Amino acid sequence: MATNKQRDSDGWQSRLASRFARFAEFVQDTDNDAVAVGALGALSLVGAFVGFLVTSPYTSVFLAGFLVAVAYGWVRHQELAARGVTLAMTVSTVVILALISFFIFYEAWPILADRSGTVFGVPIPGLELFTTTAWTPAEASPKYSMLPMIQGTVLVTIIATAVAGPLGVAAALFISEIAPAAVREVVKPGVEILAGIPSIVFGFLGFTVLSPWASDAFSLVGQGTYLFVGIVVGLMALPTVVSVAEDAINSVPESMKSGSLALGTTDWQTMTAVTIPTAFSGVSAAVLLGVGRAIGETMAATVMLRNTPRVAEPLYNVFYGFDTLTSLIAANYGSSSGFQKDALFVAGCILFVSVLALSIGSQLIERRMDRKVGGVE
Amino acid sequence: MTHDSERPADRVSRRKFLVTSGAIGAAGLAGCSGGSEETDTPEPSGDGSSSDGSDGSDGSDSSSDGSDGASSSSNEPSLLTGEGSSTVYPIANKGASYWNGNAPPSDGEYWGSNDEGSVPGWSELETDMHLADYFATQYGFEATGERSNPPYRATIGLSHSGTGCEAVTSGLVDIGNSSGPITAELDWSEEEANEEVVDHVLGRDGQPIVVSQDIYDAGIDQLTAEQVRKIYQDEITNWSEIGGPDQEIFCIGRAVGSGTDTSFRLNMLGDAEAEMPGVDTRQGQNQGVAQLVRQNEGAIAYMALAFTGEAVRPIALEFDGTVYETSKDAENTIFDSAYPLNRDLHMYTQITEDTPNGTDMREGAFCRMFLTQFGQQVFVEDNNYIPLPTADIEAEMEKLPDTA
Repeated sequence: MATNKQRDSDGWQSRLASRFARFAEFVQDTDNDAVAVGALGALSLVGAFVGFLVTSPYTSVFLAGFLVAVAYGWVRHQELAARGVTLAMTVSTVVILALISFFIFYEAWPILADRSGTVFGVPIPGLELFTTTAWTPAEASPKYSMLPMIQGTVLVTIIATAVAGPLGVAAALFISEIAPAAVREVVKPGVEILAGIPSIVFGFLGFTVLSPWASDAFSLVGQGTYLFVGIVVGLMALPTVVSVAEDAINSVPESMKSGSLALGTTDWQTMTAVTIPTAFSGVSAAVLLGVGRAIGETMAATVMLRNTPRVAEPLYNVFYGFDTLTSLIAANYGSSSGFQKDALFVAGCILFVSVLALSIGSQLIERRMDRKVGGVE
Repeated sequence: MTHDSERPADRVSRRKFLVTSGAIGAAGLAGCSGGSEETDTPEPSGDGSSSDGSDGSDGSDSSSDGSDGASSSSNEPSLLTGEGSSTVYPIANKGASYWNGNAPPSDGEYWGSNDEGSVPGWSELETDMHLADYFATQYGFEATGERSNPPYRATIGLSHSGTGCEAVTSGLVDIGNSSGPITAELDWSEEEANEEVVDHVLGRDGQPIVVSQDIYDAGIDQLTAEQVRKIYQDEITNWSEIGGPDQEIFCIGRAVGSGTDTSFRLNMLGDAEAEMPGVDTRQGQNQGVAQLVRQNEGAIAYMALAFTGEAVRPIALEFDGTVYETSKDAENTIFDSAYPLNRDLHMYTQITEDTPNGTDMREGAFCRMFLTQFGQQVFVEDNNYIPLPTADIEAEMEKLPDTA
């Protein structure tokens, strides 16, 4: 144990020492004024960050100091300044992400602590939010269950993926492999324009046209169904899927396709046996991106759903649409306070974690497929 | 608003302001006063010097005013001030904007009539005076006959109900706006309130019960409070249970935790924390509620009166044995303060030694503007509030000083 520790700390120390030596060398080699300005800029930036956290009125002074340092550095030592500024930008992106995730969980903590449950004697914070089914924040003993919204989000996402996945991949394949150049030139920008339609427009169409029609056609009480929200959200995610999948299919080397054709396969056999498997990682990333969009879609869901959180029965009943995690936040943020507001942050946490899992999952799939097909290692 | 508050205190600064900012300033002034945005704007430049335009864009007696700024202001009544609740603010502030605009009767949009149209309720007014002149002269003030130059100006500040009540009782402002009774805001007894202030109710905030057209056509034009409670608590789920068609009830509520939702629970369901398991959908805004009622059969909702219409029908409500009808002229109406979903919007004036009635001439003329058919429509109903029923308007008129 002791030797282990000894060896580890040795390595750690020597690594630190060599890093330090390199840094000293760098400082030595660089002009004095550049080092001074760099230090000033870095310190001001840290100072501005600390000032921001403690809401100090001197934040602007530090920020001004940083800007002055950058301006001086840009004029005198542009190359070094650019390296420093880009590094600072990257670091701040990561810091912002860290701060946001910390803040969401920090805000959600009071209700998680209050609604904890025990499993085999181990207290688990927030368990009660997932073991009950009622959302009644305004009543004498308020209940905040996340299950109705989780059900809503899951149903909407599944339906949206069922719409956007096959349609999107098929369209990408057609645009990239089958369509003549003239058609591609028209359709590709068209798909990208579809991506630019604001979500409220989709939601409004759904609210005024689709929902009333569905209400009549299926003899529902009132309007608002997961089915049509899912379809609308799927259409919204479609351009993302088409664009990314089309890029992936396009990037399959022409030599692979030509080789396959030279062996005497048909176009269709080449597509199914060579192109799609090769581009599979990119295509699945496209579908996962679409799923991410569907999970996070807010406006259309808020406008079209009923905003009365309750669990639809049976669980796969898509003809009544109550609430999703996002629409819960959007519909209630203005009039919530206390635990209700904390519960909205819990919904935010759930969204955050699921989108994070999706994004990591899609990267893992991509890496695996790269190894398997692309020969990249 | 800052221009408004400076103006009466210092006429020179107002002129300077206009001189320096020229046309932009004139446009801004018209925007502030909300009453004079067309036709007159070229006039100041027609006078040849922009300083002449400072005392009203009519420019008719601008030479005397321009040379001697005190001549008309020496015995001019002081500025009328008010502040308070954000709920009352839209009514009071729109009133003040119209007042300061002092539009001529030829305006058509803000006051009076012309070939393009006339303001609501013009038939009962039919005057050849400007807006503020018309009401102010009834209390002995001198008419100016000028656009943007009322006999005295009115400004309304925005704060809270309690702040407005405090400001009026300490004499800081003339009118204190409050969405709750002053007894609740300042924790006063009724007697204390009656001794200190006069309560002018110029409009109501409230929510009639509405049903969709198909239900209304099927003969449901009145419900009891008990039936409404049962619908919202899921004890009645089909219109056939209360004499309607065989149609499931689509029950629309407002966002949980909003003031509207809380007051509905309190006043209709009997408890601010009452359960509402019957609600099928919740909407954040009146517009959303109205659209849902229009689009769906068998719908019931509660919403601001201004959004009701052909396919969104308000219905009568029987509450504690009294039937509140939808007609404005009935004995008990959904416009009454006793209607369970309504609350009065108050404008308090202070009782002082000079004004034992509690309302001086300036306040009286200003309040009177709201109690006309014109005022109720433009300031109250157009702001999505409930206009007063006929009987209440008469009662409110009684509180004002006698006209000269």
